Amino acid sequence: MPALAGELAAWFGRWKGPTRTPTASGPDEFNDDAFNDWALRVHAVQRATTPALRRFWHEAGCRSPSRWEEIPPVPAAAFRDVAIGPASAEAVFRTSGTTRGQSRRGEHRVASLALYRAAARGNYRCHLLRGLKSTRVVSLVPNPGAVPDSSLAAMAGFVCDEPEVSAATWAFDANTGVDVEAVRRAVAAPWPGEPLPHDNGACGRDEGAPRRHARPSHEPVLMLATAFALVQLMDAVEAAGRDSASEGLLLPPGSRVMETGGFKGRTAEVDRESLYRRIRTVLGVPESHVTGEYGMTELLSQAYDAVAGAAGPPAARVQRFPPWVRTRALDPSTLAPQPPGRPGLLAHFDLANAGSASPVLTEDLGATTGDGGFRLLGRATGAAPRGCSLLAESFFRAATGSASS
Amino acid sequence: MTTPPRHQASRANPRLGNPPFTDLPLGRPPRADPLPASAPPSEASLADAPVVDGWLWPPDAPHPDVFAETPAGQVRVRAPVPAAGLAEALLSPLRAASRRLATRPVRQIATALASAAGALVRQLDDDALREIAANAALSTAMAREVVEGVAEAWTLRALDRLLRAEFPDPRALDGFTPDGHRAVRAAAPGTTLHIGSGTVPGVTVTSMIRALLVKSAVLAKPGAGDVALSVRFARALREADPVVGAAAAVHYWPGGDPAHDAWERALLHGADQAVVHGADAAIESVRARAPAATRLVEHSHRLGVAVVDPARAPDSAAHAARAVALCDQRGCVSVHLFLVLASPEEAARWCSALAARLAALHDALPPAAADAGTLSALHQLHGRLAMKRAASGALQLWTPRNPPSPTSQELDPAQTRRAAGNTPLLPSIRGVPSWTVVLATMEEFEPVGSRTAWVVPVPDLPACLRALGPISPALQTVGLAGAPDEPVRESDESAGAPDEPVGESRFVESLAALGATRIVPLSEMPFPDATWLHDGARPLGELVRWTEARSGGAE
Repeated sequence: MPALAGELAAWFGRWKGPTRTPTASGPDEFNDDAFNDWALRVHAVQRATTPALRRFWHEAGCRSPSRWEEIPPVPAAAFRDVAIGPASAEAVFRTSGTTRGQSRRGEHRVASLALYRAAARGNYRCHLLRGLKSTRVVSLVPNPGAVPDSSLAAMAGFVCDEPEVSAATWAFDANTGVDVEAVRRAVAAPWPGEPLPHDNGACGRDEGAPRRHARPSHEPVLMLATAFALVQLMDAVEAAGRDSASEGLLLPPGSRVMETGGFKGRTAEVDRESLYRRIRTVLGVPESHVTGEYGMTELLSQAYDAVAGAAGPPAARVQRFPPWVRTRALDPSTLAPQPPGRPGLLAHFDLANAGSASPVLTEDLGATTGDGGFRLLGRATGAAPRGCSLLAESFFRAATGSASS
Repeated sequence: MTTPPRHQASRANPRLGNPPFTDLPLGRPPRADPLPASAPPSEASLADAPVVDGWLWPPDAPHPDVFAETPAGQVRVRAPVPAAGLAEALLSPLRAASRRLATRPVRQIATALASAAGALVRQLDDDALREIAANAALSTAMAREVVEGVAEAWTLRALDRLLRAEFPDPRALDGFTPDGHRAVRAAAPGTTLHIGSGTVPGVTVTSMIRALLVKSAVLAKPGAGDVALSVRFARALREADPVVGAAAAVHYWPGGDPAHDAWERALLHGADQAVVHGADAAIESVRARAPAATRLVEHSHRLGVAVVDPARAPDSAAHAARAVALCDQRGCVSVHLFLVLASPEEAARWCSALAARLAALHDALPPAAADAGTLSALHQLHGRLAMKRAASGALQLWTPRNPPSPTSQELDPAQTRRAAGNTPLLPSIRGVPSWTVVLATMEEFEPVGSRTAWVVPVPDLPACLRALGPISPALQTVGLAGAPDEPVRESDESAGAPDEPVGESRFVESLAALGATRIVPLSEMPFPDATWLHDGARPLGELVRWTEARSGGAE
C-alpha cells in the first residue's frame, strides 16, 4: 500500500485543475482509461489486503472485474460496523453521527495522510485559492489538533499549510462554539510583520514549515466553515448589532467563504440562497466568492461547486470532484446506473480511498451532468416509515442506559 | 412531538438560530441533513398525490379558514393551520360534549363505539383501503390485515370484556356502586389529548376509544400514517351516535415543529390529560411543556422478542414470519429478535424455514411501494448486513437474493430453494430485498425493521434470560413458541429481580422480572387483546380517578 499511495499521490499532484475534462478520452493521463486502470489496480489491492471487502465483493458476485463500474459499492453505513482500512492507520476519521454511541460512529481508517493531503490539495487549490497571492484563514472548522478524528478539520489544516496562507485563526471550540471575538480580531487590521495574536499555531502546519507573517488589513480572508457555524457567527454578529452600537463584521474585499454541509435539497436550495444572501449582507462576501464543498468522512476527496471569486448562482452550480473520482447516479430500486440528468443514489469511486474502500454508495440523491459533474438534489434518508417499534438508535440508548445504571 | 417529519425544520436549521454547542459538528457535518429535509425526486409526484382530510373538529367549533397540506406516506394530509388561539376553540366544545357524555350509561357509549368501529370495518372498500394504505405507506393487503386485526379489539364483546377486566362493576363509570363498606365511582377528566406518532394504523382509534369509554372527550393528533383511519372513525362515530361523536375530534399537524410550540403548549395547558405515544425525545418534549395539572400517560417505543423451541413448536416459523411481516415491523408489539433454543445448526435450519415463510408472505402481505428514501435506507441496511457477514463468519444471512450461507448446505434442498435460491420468483421491493433473516450473536443484534428477523441461538432458558438482560429496558412483548413454562434455575442474578433469592422460578416470572409486560403465544403477538395491559398499565384504569364514599355506619 505505501508504494501505491506514493504513486497515487504523485499522480494526483500532476493534475492541473478542472480545465481538463475528466471524462475525455485521448492521451490525457486522467482520462477514463487511465482511471479504469488505476481503479482495477486499487481494487486488487483492497481485495488482497482486506478480507472483509474481498468476501463482500465475492458474495455480491464480483469476481474479476474488467471495469470499475462492475465493482459493487460499499454502503457508507458499513463504515459503522466494520473497520475498513489498515489496522496501522496513520489517522482514524470518524463521522459525527452516533448510532450505537461513540463506539459505533462511522470510522474511516486512513492508511496515508500524505495521500489524503494530495487528494484534497488539488481541488481546494483550484476552487478556494485560485488567484490569491496572500490570504488569512479564519476557520470555523475545529482545529485538527483538538479534533484529530475529524477529516474536515484535517483538511482545514492542509489548507492552512498552503504558501498563500499568511496566518490562520481557529475560531471554533467544541464546547463554546464560534469564538466571535476571535473572528473580529482576525479580520481587523493585523500587525504588519508580526504573527497575528490569535494565530494560535498547531493548525496542522507541518513541523518546521516556515510561518508567514500577517499582511495589511486589506488582505482577503478565506473563511472555512460549516453552515452551522456560519449561521452561528452571523446570528451573533447581528445580535450584537441590535444590542449595541457594535460594528458589523465585514470581511476585507476579495475575501472568500467555503461552506460545507447542510444544503442538499431543492427545498433547501432556497435556504442556501438565503444563506448566501445573508453572507453578503453580514460578512460582505458576495455569492460569487462563496464556494460549497461536498465531502464526507467516508471519502478522502472532495467536490466543489464553484471557483471562489467566479462562482455563479447557487441554483446553477455543479459539484465537481477531481478526476480521480468518478460519480454515478444509481437507480434507487435496482442500483442500475442512471443516464445523465436522471436522479439516483450517488455512488462515488474515489481512488484516494485506496487504503480503505474506493466505491462508496451514499445516501445522497443527485444526477450526473455528463461532463464529470453532478447536481446534488437531496438526502435520501428519513423517509422510511416509522411506527412505535423501538429501532436501533433508541434501542442502543436504552441498552446503554441499562448498562450504565 | 414525534420524530420530525422530513419536511420540517430540525433544530440545526440555520433559519431557526443556533443549535446547542454540544450538538455542533466537530468534524464533517453529519450526513443526516440538518436542514428541512429535501424532497427527493421520487417525492416530486407528491404534488399530485391524493389529499386526505386530517381533521374533524367538534360540531360547535368555529370553521377553520386556513389550511396546510403535509406529505404523509403517499398522500398529502390537509388540516387547519394550528394556532395557539384555536386550542380553546377546540377544547371548549369538547368540554361541553364531555359533560353530555357523562350522563350516558357506559353501556350505551360502548355500543356506539362498537357500532362506529363495525361500520368502519364494513366500509373498508377498495377506495378506503387505498387511502389508509397510502397514508400509512403499507400495501392495501397489509392495510386490510392490520385494520381488521386491530379492530378485533373494538367490537362490543371486546369492549365489554375490557370494561369488566378493568372495573369490578363497570357501572362505577355511571355512578357510585357498592364496594364492600363503601361506594366507589370512577371518572375520567373532561378532556384527553391524544398525541400519536408513527405510521401504524389503529393506534389512534384505540386510544380514542379508551378515552371515550371512560367518558372523556378526546382531541386526537394521529401519527402521520394513522390520519386517514382516525378521521374515518371519528366520522363513523358521529353518524353512529351524535352525542358520543361530538366528544371526539381529530386534528393532524406535524409534531416536533418548533412553529407549533405555542399551539402544543396551549393544548397541553387546556386539556386535562394527555396520552402520548412516541420516541423518548417526543415524550420528554411533552413532559417539559405540560403543566403539573395535566396528567400524562406515556407510551414510549418498545421492542418485541420471541423465544422459540423449534423442536416443540413445529409451526413456529409460520407464526414467526407473520409476526415479522405484519405492519412491516413497525408496531411496538412487532417482533425483531428470536431467541431459539437450539444448537447453531438447528437454529440455521429454523432460519431457513423462517425465510421460506417470509418469502411466501411476500405475495400475501406485500410490502408497499417504497420511495427513494426508503429504498436508500434498505440498500444501506442490506449492505451493512452483507459487510457484517463478510467481516464475521458468525453471521449468516437469508434474503431473497443471497444464497444460503455455507452451513445451510446441510439444509433440506427443497426448503433451501424455497428460502433463498429462487430469486426470480421472489419479487422484492422493486429490486431491494424485502425481508432478511440474520443468524447472529446477541452482541450483533439491533432492531432495524423492514422485515428483518434476527435469530440468536441459545442453549437453554437461563442463557435466554441472560441474553435478554441488556435489552430489558426496551422490552415489551415476549412471544413464546414451544418455550417450556417450567422452572428455571436462575444461575445468574441478572435473570431475576435483584432481591430475589437464587432458585427456581417459572420462566414467565423471570421474564416479568426482566421487564416484559406482555407474554403471549407467538401466534398472538401481532394483535393484542382489548384487555391488554398496555406497557404494563391498565388502559382504562390509567385514565380515571376513583372516588370513594363511606357512610358513618361503615365505621
